[in-house]
Amino acid sequence: MAVAKESHWTQPANDAPMARRRLLAWLSSVGLFGSVVLAAASNWFFFKPRVTYGPNARFAIGKPEDFPPGTRISRDVERVCIARDGNKLAAISTTCTHLGCIVGISDTGFACPCHGSRYDQDGNVTGGPAPKPLPWFQVTLAPNGELVVDKNSQVEPGTYFTL
Amino acid sequence: MSDATKETPGGLAVLRELPSNVWNSIFRGPLPSTDLERSSTSFTNFFLHIHPVKVNRNTLRPAYTLGLGLISLFLFLILAVTGVLLMFYYVPSTTQAYDRMLDLRGTVAFGIFLRNMHRWSAHGMVAMVFLHMCRVFLTGAYKKPREFNWVVGVVLLLATLFLSFTGYLLPWDQLAFWAITVGTSIAGYAPLIGKQMQFVLLGDTTVGQEALLRFYVLHVAVLPAVLGLLIAVHFWRIRKDGGLSRPEKAADPAPATGVVKMRKVYGLQGFVRGPFTKVGNVPDDSVYSWPNLLLSELFVFVLTVSVILVVSLMFNAPLEQPVNVMHPPNPAKAPWYFLGLQEMVSYSAFWGGIGIPGIMVALLLATPYIDRGTKGVGRWFAKERLMANTIFLTLVTLNIIFIVIGTFFRGPNWTFVSPF
Repeated sequence: MAVAKESHWTQPANDAPMARRRLLAWLSSVGLFGSVVLAAASNWFFFKPRVTYGPNARFAIGKPEDFPPGTRISRDVERVCIARDGNKLAAISTTCTHLGCIVGISDTGFACPCHGSRYDQDGNVTGGPAPKPLPWFQVTLAPNGELVVDKNSQVEPGTYFTL
Repeated sequence: MSDATKETPGGLAVLRELPSNVWNSIFRGPLPSTDLERSSTSFTNFFLHIHPVKVNRNTLRPAYTLGLGLISLFLFLILAVTGVLLMFYYVPSTTQAYDRMLDLRGTVAFGIFLRNMHRWSAHGMVAMVFLHMCRVFLTGAYKKPREFNWVVGVVLLLATLFLSFTGYLLPWDQLAFWAITVGTSIAGYAPLIGKQMQFVLLGDTTVGQEALLRFYVLHVAVLPAVLGLLIAVHFWRIRKDGGLSRPEKAADPAPATGVVKMRKVYGLQGFVRGPFTKVGNVPDDSVYSWPNLLLSELFVFVLTVSVILVVSLMFNAPLEQPVNVMHPPNPAKAPWYFLGLQEMVSYSAFWGGIGIPGIMVALLLATPYIDRGTKGVGRWFAKERLMANTIFLTLVTLNIIFIVIGTFFRGPNWTFVSPF
């Protein structure tokens, strides 16, 4: 052991080859660890899907006549509540903002069965652990006369689609 | 010709000696009757050489370890075996998974029994790993030089919980679906990358086919491999850190340099352990692994398997209604060991799901580096460790209280109900 310590690794006869060696060692370490980091980071892009196979975020819900004034129905497959008030219509999310359960329609608005969050008719939080109000989604009228909800575009709560 | 037959036995003699020749080719020595043979039994056998040749007497005291680490290992082995068997009949598909659960019940020979064993061992392993951690803490066994093995142990606990969590989705029943919906939403509360992490974990925005496939691969391939590797490191470190912790008075006496004469250096070992051999120079309080340690291990193994068999014969693993994405059960509860978390989450999703658990894990990982005292190692509830033990037991009790509240005192809409 003691012999090894006396070697040219720590006691170079001349400084120049030592500096070159250290630089090369340093560069190859950077290269090695850099590629490990890159390889690890590329996993993220592999695991983050570019295509999802779940239900469409944009979907038709039917003609305006299907929702007479005063309607308030929950479409559980798409997880939205369609609420019509006079000639104004809105699509409110029924996915609890707390931990993703489906909220049910209650007398005062919405209630979550999982952790007891409560919302009013417009989706504002009135009780429980929910941190945010229920989002509202954009509603449009397609050329074929059907209403279309787009869950990818949120609108300000209170923004109705006027028929 | 006649000379050759004399030297190498032929004909009947070959047949007569066949059994002992085969036996001797597999097992190198006879059943040990001397100390030398006991030693070589431990280190010439692939399966036994994980053991040291001799172990300290304290290691074998059931009242010290309670065998909790070994029980955890044996439960992991039961889980691996039953898990592989279940894989032969399981399909990770949203349209088939639940039917396969029913098939395990109805048509597969021993199907329900294997599923019971797998489920109860999983619950048992979470409990035993947790109790093992408590044992190590309360006996001060994480102290120098065992700090890093404690860290490995904490990671093993987390891996065990994650393994159990990923397995929870696979039956694709109501309980599975909503527990995972709630659980992965908690991940979504992590700062900055929470939503992204949830998306990558589920492979989609909601729990569906992609999530089932991802959880399946994690459960049957990735996490068992990680856990297996960490278990190997954990065991290796026990040996390299000087065996199980023990009280100062039971410690193997180190050879005193003044008394013991310097001897010849025997090979490379001399560089590692110092230039003298311990053999014959110091009294030691150890016994041979064969048969002492092996018999204890066999006893714990038989006990573990027996309990799991009896429990699996008596109780069936629950299976709820098939997934109905429109109607969460009310209340939707996570597995019992996550109910403490769920109870905290019902107050604040961030603090209950991310903040407090994060702080707890950080505290556990840092424990051996914060608590540098050297006193009170190797004894339960040592007086010198009163403060550390009190803090630890308080946190454990709080967690248990939250679990009890979440399990028994929460009804529909997570309102407070009385079980009585």
